Amino acid sequence: MLALRPGLLAAYHYNQEIIAITHLLVLGFLLSVISGALYQLVPVVLETRLHSERLARLHYGVHLISVAGMVVMFWRWDMKQVGHFGSGLAFGVGLLAWNLGRTLVQARRWNPVSFGVTSAIVWLVAVIGAGLALAAAKSTYELTGRTDVQPMLAVTLAGLEAVQTFLARFEPLAVMHAHAHLGLLGVFVLLTCAVAFRLVPMFLLGEIQSPRRAWAALGCLNAGTLAVFLTVLTQSPLKPAAGLLVLAGVTLYLGELRAIVRARRRLNLDWGIRMFLFSQALLLPTAALGLALSLPGQPLTEFIGRLETAYGFLAILGVVGLAILGMLYKIIPFLVWFASYNHAIGRFRTPALHDMYSHGLQAWGAGLWVAGLVTSLAAILLGSPAPARLGAFLLLLSLASFALNVARILRHFFRPRLQPLNAPQLTSTPRTP
Amino acid sequence: MIQESALWDALSGVIDPEIGLNLVDLGLIYSLQVSAEDTVQIVMTVTTPGCPMVHSLTFGVETAVLAVPGVRGVEVEVVLDPPWSPSMIRPEARTSAGIL
Repeated sequence: MLALRPGLLAAYHYNQEIIAITHLLVLGFLLSVISGALYQLVPVVLETRLHSERLARLHYGVHLISVAGMVVMFWRWDMKQVGHFGSGLAFGVGLLAWNLGRTLVQARRWNPVSFGVTSAIVWLVAVIGAGLALAAAKSTYELTGRTDVQPMLAVTLAGLEAVQTFLARFEPLAVMHAHAHLGLLGVFVLLTCAVAFRLVPMFLLGEIQSPRRAWAALGCLNAGTLAVFLTVLTQSPLKPAAGLLVLAGVTLYLGELRAIVRARRRLNLDWGIRMFLFSQALLLPTAALGLALSLPGQPLTEFIGRLETAYGFLAILGVVGLAILGMLYKIIPFLVWFASYNHAIGRFRTPALHDMYSHGLQAWGAGLWVAGLVTSLAAILLGSPAPARLGAFLLLLSLASFALNVARILRHFFRPRLQPLNAPQLTSTPRTP
Repeated sequence: MIQESALWDALSGVIDPEIGLNLVDLGLIYSLQVSAEDTVQIVMTVTTPGCPMVHSLTFGVETAVLAVPGVRGVEVEVVLDPPWSPSMIRPEARTSAGIL
């Protein structure tokens, strides 16, 4: 969509098309992947079983329909229908929170990972609530004042109008920015940090170096999420203090991540891990830019508006998008391997996960993503559609390379490669990228 | 009579797909005993507590050992104590897998 309409990136981000595209990306891609990953990961982290797979399947169906409807309605700017589909999304998130909540209560011991995951789920519920409130505030209610409506409907209408009246106290752009920060920081960044404390040591054969630092990082990020939400919503002069809290959390997190990587026993860093680590390093400039934008006394000039768009773009596609692409290179081979080779292990020689896809294609994909990110950011800052189109094409090429690799991985699902046990092992050790 | 070397050879065919090394080279098999009833008792571990591959690996161990001629049964116990560490990997495998 950005390749077809590159002018959107060059314009200010508060318009219906960008909001629709952002929700398509954030809810359609990022939240879908993260929900699936949570259903897989939480039982692993807690060494227990998922409360209900049936509820997870129901959530998947509800989520798909709701997100598709929301995006179309955002594009048309029909906020009442956004609210209706958003209620479906909220129902789905409620199912996720219930299902994972019931799983989390089985936890034998609490650690930074389970704390981070739990708080991200709480923020997810909060951000969906905030989004619904936003939709309610932007809707019109034709039935108001009529006496022939059902009592239930009358109560609902009164509630929605109360939300509308409450949110009218705040500046609309501030409400939207507060909602966006709640989602990106509270859900995606926090979840990525928590998950990294479990998965990075697992993949690199290492361990958390300082549990105290990990707890402190997640504590600062949680407090920072709340502080950023409140200060952005109220346009408070304390916004930089909230930004500093987030920056402190990010610095602690990256310090711990660096220590884990330095103390690893597995020397080779595959491209999936490299993509993930690079995305996490981008947290620092993103948080610094957010802090700079929070400084008081800045008029909303055209350039400041572009910086705000660049900040959001870097956070969504640089930090979260690239982190998820990197982690998908670890998760998808595992899931396909499990489906295709689980029954054959011990009877046949089964492939290693890193033998299921092309490392060259993966490296190209990572490079193209970074090139697309840099080009798009330059286009946003220059307010120029031509490089924005180039940036979007580079990102598309990166996704195409990812899709090709996913196809290679899925080939194992349809045609498993099984060798007799006495056959020589062709590739058993990870190749250095 | 069950050859113990045949059992180790069979276990060498079971690969941890994440690391790409077999369980014997990885040092995941802590002990192996053959009882008088030709049942094989194996004590093994996994690379990390809550390892998502634990059921696959134990299934692989059972299947591989049951395929060895003479084996009538297999009992696999997964323990986390002592915890596995990369120092338990055979030195030559460690070098080839790029592990310190």
